[in-house]
Amino acid sequence: MKPKLAPISKACPKIRGPILEINSLRKVFHINGSSLTVLDGIDFSVNKGEMICILGRSGCGKSTLLKMLAGFLSPSSGEILLNGKPVADPGPDRCVVFQEDTLFPWLTVKENIAFGLKGRTRDKKAFDEEVERFLSLVGLSEFTNYLPREISGGMKQRVALARVLILKPEVLLMDEPFASLDAQTREEMQNFLLSLWENLSHTIIFVTHDVTEAVTLADRILVMSKDPGRIREEIRVDLPRPRKREKSDFLFFSRKLYERLRE
Amino acid sequence: MMEKENNSIHNSVFALLPWVIPAVFMLTWIIVSETRLIPTYLLPHPVEIGKAGYTYIFRNPGDAPFAGRFLNDAGASLIRVCSGFAAAVILGIPLGIISGRLASVRKLMSTTINALRAVPGISWLPLAMIWFGIGIKTTVFLIALAAFFPIYLNSAAGARQINPLLLQAGAMMGVNRLRGTFAILLPGAMPHIMTGLRLGLGISWAYLVLGELTGVPNGLGAVIMDARMLGRIDIIVVGIIIIAVMGRAGDQLLKTSLRFCFKSARRMA
Repeated sequence: MKPKLAPISKACPKIRGPILEINSLRKVFHINGSSLTVLDGIDFSVNKGEMICILGRSGCGKSTLLKMLAGFLSPSSGEILLNGKPVADPGPDRCVVFQEDTLFPWLTVKENIAFGLKGRTRDKKAFDEEVERFLSLVGLSEFTNYLPREISGGMKQRVALARVLILKPEVLLMDEPFASLDAQTREEMQNFLLSLWENLSHTIIFVTHDVTEAVTLADRILVMSKDPGRIREEIRVDLPRPRKREKSDFLFFSRKLYERLRE
Repeated sequence: MMEKENNSIHNSVFALLPWVIPAVFMLTWIIVSETRLIPTYLLPHPVEIGKAGYTYIFRNPGDAPFAGRFLNDAGASLIRVCSGFAAAVILGIPLGIISGRLASVRKLMSTTINALRAVPGISWLPLAMIWFGIGIKTTVFLIALAAFFPIYLNSAAGARQINPLLLQAGAMMGVNRLRGTFAILLPGAMPHIMTGLRLGLGISWAYLVLGELTGVPNGLGAVIMDARMLGRIDIIVVGIIIIAVMGRAGDQLLKTSLRFCFKSARRMA
């Protein structure tokens, strides 16, 4: 373990050292002969069980960064290490919940949740039990046989969560997953994600452009700037949990962050 | 209550809708025959067609010209349509899916496919007769050739329009290429594939008749050709109606069996 990493905090017993390390990551896109540096000099590490938010305005490269962590894009230079091993391809150890609806429209809620687990176990009974467990974990036991087009946007994102959580990923990557939901559902989903996280202690990297969302969720916020995309600062959110969005310390923190983001 | 009743009336009218045009057509036919507006040597009376059809389908061979040939003809034609269509499916779907996913294959195929597609099927007939002689081989070749294009093009379109995020989602869940093809790509392309298959099967019937016009001894196209030689216009019409009925039934059977076999066909198309 490298000494530069954050010490294990006693207040937050989940944090058990680094799981993900990103070292001088850079991404250049070549379009029609000209090159565009989208990300430059990205350095950070994520501890096990930590909830990290990557906050930035649209076009700052935060989604590109997440795609590289997922393995959908390869870095132009620099490295991404998961448990010390470089990340090359997409894989079930780093699962993504997308902003868009990416459920398979020809599969029911249950079949979507079971999709990734198929072929991993021969034990039919254990398989079924596991699927049922995750169905009820996301509160969709009564919607087992519904098709994605028959359920609401919030429910779809619950299915999207369940189908990756069932694979027990090392890191859960979330790319503005609640951005296209209405405000009330979004808040519900944030609370739901927090309760899942408190029970299952996943490591989560959550990309968002919404300050309130970042302050609600994160242990740490990485604020990104544009052209080229860099991590401008790292802010530890030391508000106690559960955080109430209408309390003065929360509002104060959000406003300060919002002002800094505008600078 | 009222609304429900209205709805059930509405539904039964709706169920009859596909038969409205055939019914009007039949009625017009009867009227023009009864009033002798069209002479019977151009269009026989429906009753005559009915009698000819009965003779063709149910009477014993030898009782009258064309009597009892139906089973033999329909069987021969069905075998030809099925073999030609099957060949088109076996080539068309995999090639279509591959070229829909790989730009290089698409480029490679584009000129050839589009040039061949522009050649009307009938121009292949003389060449096919020289290559394969008169008989089943020529017919199957023509059907396979004609049905290939709609199946290939629609499969390619289906594979191409698939949401790339679905494939990414599969990759991140640890799905390998093989499973990705069968569990994501094919179901995702299913509505297009289904359209291609239905168009292909329809065209198969058209080219069946073309292939059978060349003097094969049996088949629905051959019957129509024989009837023309003998001036039996009633048998020509019987042949046309039988092909229409079998074509419609074939389409329904294709749709139903795809829906029965594939979730994606059941739930998306």
